[in-house]
Parts: sequence; structure tokens; C-alpha cells
Amino acid sequence: MAQKESQQAVERELTMSRAMVEAIGHEMRENEEVFYMGEDVADYGGIFDSTQGLLEEFGRDRIMDVPISETAYIGAAVGAAQQGMRPIAELMFVDFFGVCMDQIYNQMAKNTYMSGASVNVPMVLTAAVGGTYNDAAQHSQTLYGTFAHLPGMKVVVPSTAYDAKGLMHNAIRDDDPVVYMFHKRLMGIGWMPAPDGPKTPVPDEPYTIPFGSADVKREGEDVTVVTLGLHVHRALEAADDLAEDGIDAEVIDLRTLVPLDTETVLDSVEKTGRLVVVDEDYRSYGVTGEIIARVAEEGLADLEAVERVAVPDVPLPYARPMEDEVIPGTEDIEAAIRSARS
Amino acid sequence: MSGNEDRVAVAAADVWPEDAEADETAVVVNWFAREGRQVDEGETVCEIQIEKVSIDVPAPTDGELVEIERGEDDELSREDTLGWLAPD
Amino acid sequence: MDIMVAVNELQSMFEDMVTARYYEERLQEEYLEGKQPAFDISAGPIPGELHLAAGQEAAAAGVCRHLRDSDTVTAPHRPHHVAIAKGVDLKRMTAEIFGRRTGLSKGKGGHMHLFDPDVNFACSGIIAQGCPPAVGAGLAATKRSEDSVAVAFLGEGAISQGAFLESLNLAAVRELPVIFVVEDNDWAISMPKDRVTDVDDGSQRAGGFDMPGVRVDYDDATAVYDAAKEAIGRARAGNGPTLLEVQVHRRMGHFMGDPESYRPDEDKEAAQERDSIERLAADLRSEGVADDDIEEIRERARDRVDEAIEWAKDQPEPGPEEAYEDVFVNPPSGVTTEEPSHELAGGDD
Ligand SMILES: Cc1ncc(C[n+]2csc(CCOP(=O)(O)OP(=O)(O)O)c2C)c(N)n1
Ligand SMILES: [Mg+2]
Repeated sequence: MAQKESQQAVERELTMSRAMVEAIGHEMRENEEVFYMGEDVADYGGIFDSTQGLLEEFGRDRIMDVPISETAYIGAAVGAAQQGMRPIAELMFVDFFGVCMDQIYNQMAKNTYMSGASVNVPMVLTAAVGGTYNDAAQHSQTLYGTFAHLPGMKVVVPSTAYDAKGLMHNAIRDDDPVVYMFHKRLMGIGWMPAPDGPKTPVPDEPYTIPFGSADVKREGEDVTVVTLGLHVHRALEAADDLAEDGIDAEVIDLRTLVPLDTETVLDSVEKTGRLVVVDEDYRSYGVTGEIIARVAEEGLADLEAVERVAVPDVPLPYARPMEDEVIPGTEDIEAAIRSARS
Repeated sequence: MSGNEDRVAVAAADVWPEDAEADETAVVVNWFAREGRQVDEGETVCEIQIEKVSIDVPAPTDGELVEIERGEDDELSREDTLGWLAPD
Repeated sequence: MDIMVAVNELQSMFEDMVTARYYEERLQEEYLEGKQPAFDISAGPIPGELHLAAGQEAAAAGVCRHLRDSDTVTAPHRPHHVAIAKGVDLKRMTAEIFGRRTGLSKGKGGHMHLFDPDVNFACSGIIAQGCPPAVGAGLAATKRSEDSVAVAFLGEGAISQGAFLESLNLAAVRELPVIFVVEDNDWAISMPKDRVTDVDDGSQRAGGFDMPGVRVDYDDATAVYDAAKEAIGRARAGNGPTLLEVQVHRRMGHFMGDPESYRPDEDKEAAQERDSIERLAADLRSEGVADDDIEEIRERARDRVDEAIEWAKDQPEPGPEEAYEDVFVNPPSGVTTEEPSHELAGGDD
């Protein structure tokens, strides 16, 4: 039987939500100071399965349903973290940050700096992000750029189950505040089918993925595609399609926006000379502009072509033809790669 | 590979909720093991959805998953077999 | 209860309520189209979340009976029954829910974001965020010396939200004509009321702001009507806001697709038994309204709903390029493209 354990030929696979939950459960078992607060995280197990099964094991004192009072409970996580505990607070949809942003960006993100690092805030803020299911303007945003723009919080965006687990372990153990943004479409929920890709083999044992290390999800020679979250999978699909036409795209998954692994991007652009940045956030003042600026600052000479693919600067519309229009699709990415090549 | 008669079914009936309608159709949402994987009894091998409720399906025995009969997105009813294990 | 409500008022409330109930039954069917057996939220003619209000109609009907088109209503994520009672255009609202070009918002808003300025109706899907704009509508009425009022509808889960509590205070301190109507259906998704607040009676929140707080303990349209009459009358007369909580019941899941595994069977059954529509029908009968007349109201409601749904489904979808319109009402440059030149005094020389 020992042989079976060590030489399992075929790894078990997990959905992204199960991988996240496995990491949270492990950290909670190891450290009594870890607890989870959010709306519908206990009996419901998280609207997007982010805490599925945890109530049964850890009970209501550690898997806490809280009132619809985001300012109060996210702020309470800040306070408990400053006492040295390791709270995880969930914002059900990232779009709701508006009602509690002060606790996030003026307290959670700044208390370390304002105290000259005599205080630290070892908490995780989890939030569901993303569209593609017609939930309209107040429930479909990613807002990656908003959180990454404001100094003082680390920003994590997993795209696969493997990454989700390792990044979650790292997030909970990190002594700084971490915003962990999971895309609803990647969670592997029955009622919101995921694309192929986010479900991956996941080792049973805990492991950490360091922040600031982008992952080259596909190697290629011709064009560098830099992206994150759901669009990693759309970019990979585009790259596979283009391979049939002899176009060889490299796909880089940033995995964390803060810290940002500029090096991996620069190395790739040095090789390909062409950069396409794909983002599910708004186009202006966001991730696409930032990545391009970094490459321009440090690798301008390598840069022969640049394209960006993002949500044009409109709120997310409800009706399907319009939502499909504004959220970048595989064809949009293909077109951008082709145009970067021409 | 062992003969058919030795195989153990991963049966939908084992997890089918008692209060589900007799003619209810379920859908396979996720498989967590591929063919060839050695699974332990009780390990969740797949997940099905019946009437919006998601249900984990445990392996009925230790053994190798030798065949997946209902793949992801396939429909099934109470009598159906999801896959087959060759017990250790 | 010995509340005297004119029979025609009872009939109007009944019509609003049966319209809302039948409307949602029909929407439910349409919504499930293409979502069976696998429930995929993005499939079918109505994609996205859908929050139905079956069991909550009495609150909307009893309050809105006292409102005029010029009065403002803000509704939360569960808006259909309120919209119907407020007189929102049913066809265009339905077209919006189906994501059609002729919908209230040209397909941009969807079911949680219905806007009908003709009857001063608006929604927000963010909990309690309809409260401040309702205060603003009350403020506008006061500044203009108009006697219109504003009503913010919210769920009992929203009473722990800052936007609600801050709005109570602002409305109270300025004596604004605003009525906050809490529909207490005992649940906020999977969270029972007693897990998230220690107060049984949400209207007690009013006390802290020196505002009248009233609770209608049973989802009885006539009792709501009566309580709302007093509150709205007070607001219209310039005597300030009221917090009104109404006990309603949730006959369905929080949203379509909610398996409700967290909810005890007895609670689900109890909700089915307490039907405010049947209760009002009984009131009508005891007021001498004939069964045929009651049936006629139901039929009229069904016809109107069927017609609206049929019409909506026939409407064209918006084109992809329409997504780029309506971010602003003005063209990007705003009111003018010319900047006047001014010779300013002072400066370096
Ligand atoms: C600020 C904010 N937090 C959380 C949510 C998610 N959410 C939508 S409805 C809901 C429950 C609301 O409960 P209640 O106010 O009682 O209204 P009900 O759904 O029962 O009608 C929650 C938590 C939201 N839309 N906005
Ligand atoms: Mg409620």
C-alpha cells in the first residue's frame, strides 16, 4: 500500500473551490487563530462554494456567518489581525467593496505603513470576481486594478486549482493583508460550468506558491500574452487555435498583481518582441496599461508591437449580446495576437 | 485488468436523495479522478447535481478506477452507473 | 382586525398581488427554460440571478396603494412585486428582464436594476443602497415645497447595513418625507434573522433616531395598508419619516437555483400555509365581493401578465454595439466644446 501512496500514477483532481477549501481547512487545523467570516459562509458553504464543508468540521465559532455589515466585519478582521489572529473575511462579490472600502484601503492597507510597521495586519480578504453569466453592472466586475492600485495590500488572482491551493496557503501564512480574488467561473460550481483548465491535479499535502512569481502556462516564441484569472484559459484556447496557423504564443499567468513579477514578462518579451495584455477589468488606468508601462520602462527596445484587450470603459451590461461584446472572448484575444504579429 | 464480474460499480443509487422524484434526472458536474487512478474507499470520485443540489459521490471500495461510464455533463438517472472500480 | 378599508382599495391591492404572484410564476417557467436538467445560471432566455418575491406581495401592495406617480420608490434586489404595485410599465419591465432593446433600460440593467422614471421607480442590487437615494428624493420634495414622499423598500437583512442606519438619521434630523419599509421574510439568503441581529422587531431601530417605528406582525395587506396610510400621511404633511417593518414570508429560495438545504422543512411548509393572497380574498368575500368578481380580477391579471411576457419575448435583442451607449447622457465633451478665454488679472508680470 505504501507503494500506492507514493507512486500514484494518476493524481486526484480538484476544482478550484475545493482546492481553496482544502488549504483553508488545513491552516485552520494547524492554527487555532485562523477563522473565517462572511455572509452565507456557514450553512450555505459560500455562495460560490468558497467554504463548502468547513462548518461541519470547525463549527460556528470559526466559520462565522455575519450580518450584512461589511464595514463592521471586515473592519473587525482588521482589528483581530492587529491582535495577532489570522482572520479570513469574505466579500461575497468584489462589487460590494463600495460599502466597506474605508476599512480595506484606509485601515487594512495602511495601518502597517502608518505605524512604521510596528503594527501588522495578517488577514486575508477573499472576494468573488468576474462576469460571463449576465449578472449585470453591480455583480460582474473584477476590479483587479482598483485593489492593485492602492498600496498596502497584496493581490492574488488564481486561475487553477493547483495555484489556488498554494496561493491560499501562502496568503493565510503571510504577515501582511492579502486580497484573494477568485473568479466565479473558475470555481467548478455545478450551476456555473467552468471551462476546461481550472480543474487540475492537486497534491494532498500543503504547499505554498510564492507571491510575485508569474507562471508561464504555455511556452511560445512569437507573441507574449500576459493575463490572469479566467482569461488565462481563454488565452490558452486562443493560443491553441493559432498554433494550427503556425503562430506560437506564450501565455503568462500573473497569479499575483501585488507583488508583480515584471521579470518573467520582460524575459518573454525579450524573446518574442510582441506583447498582448488581456484583462477582464476596465481598460483605462488598469492592469493592461500597467503591464505595458513596465515593459516600456525596462524593455522598450525589445518591443515591436503592443495590443491590449480589456473591458471597454463601460459598466457591464446585462443582455447577453452586449455582455459578450464587452468581456474579451477567445476570438478577441486571437485577433489581438494576430494583429501584434502583423 | 480484472474481468467484468469483479468490478464494483460507482452507483448513482448509493447517493440518490430519498426525497428526489423517481423520474428526476441528474447531471455529472465533476470527476475528480481519471481512469487509472487508485482510489481509497470513501474518497470523493465525482460530483453530481440533482435538482440544483450538488452531491459528492464516494468510492465504494479501495481500487482502481477502470472505467468512467458517465462523463462530465452527461445525464443520468437513479439506476445508472457512474463508473467502475477494480477492487484491490 | 377591525380595520376599515374601502372595498375598491381592497380590490386594487388584490389585483396588484395576484398580478405579482402570477407574473413570477410565469417568469419562473421562462427562467428554467434551457436550465434543466443541469442548472446553468447563464443559460436560457433569462440569464443571471433571479430573485422572486412570492409571499411578500402584501407589503408592496399595502404601501404603494397610497402612492402617486410623483412619489419615489426605491426597491432592492427583489423588486418585481414592488414595481408592479408602483405601476411600473409591465411590458417594458418584462422586456428588460428578457434583455431586450425595448426594455426599461434597453437591456442594460436586468431584473435587479429596473428604472422607470415615469413613476419614479428605481432599484439597486447592493443591499440597503436604495435608502440614501430615497432620502434624496425626500430632500428634493422638501426643498421644492412639494408634497411628494419617498419610500425605500429593503429586506430585514439590510437593517444592519450602514447605508440604512445613516439614512434613518439623515431623514430624521431633516424631518424628510421618507418611509423605510422593511420586508421581514425571516431570511437573508441562508442566514436566519436571529443569527444576525438581536432585535426581533426591526422597527425598534427607529427609536435610536427619534423616529416612529411600526411593525405589522402579519403579512396582511389591510393591516399594511392602514399602517402605511398613517406613515405616508405623516410624511406628506411634513411631519417626517417613519420606519415600517412588515412580516412577510419567503415561499421560494433566495434566488432561482437556491437548493435551500439550510432551511428547515417546517419553515418552508409554514411559509406555504400563510398565504396573504388567500387571506385578502377571504376579506373580499366577507366584504360581500362575489367569487365571480374575484375570479375576474385574477383573470384580468393573468391576461395582462401573459400579454406582457408574450410581447417581451417578441422584442428585438440589443446589438452588441449598443453596449457602448448610455454611459453618459451628454456626449463626452459635456455641455460645451468651447472654452471661453478670460484675461485674468495678476500673474508674473
Ligand atoms: C452590500 C451587499 N452585501 C451583500 C449582498 C449579497 N446579498 C444579496 S441579497 C442578500 C440577502 C438580503 O437579505 P434581505 O435584506 O433580508 O432581503 P431578502 O433577500 O430576504 O429579500 C445578500 C447578502 C449585496 N447584494 N450587497
Ligand atoms: Mg430577508
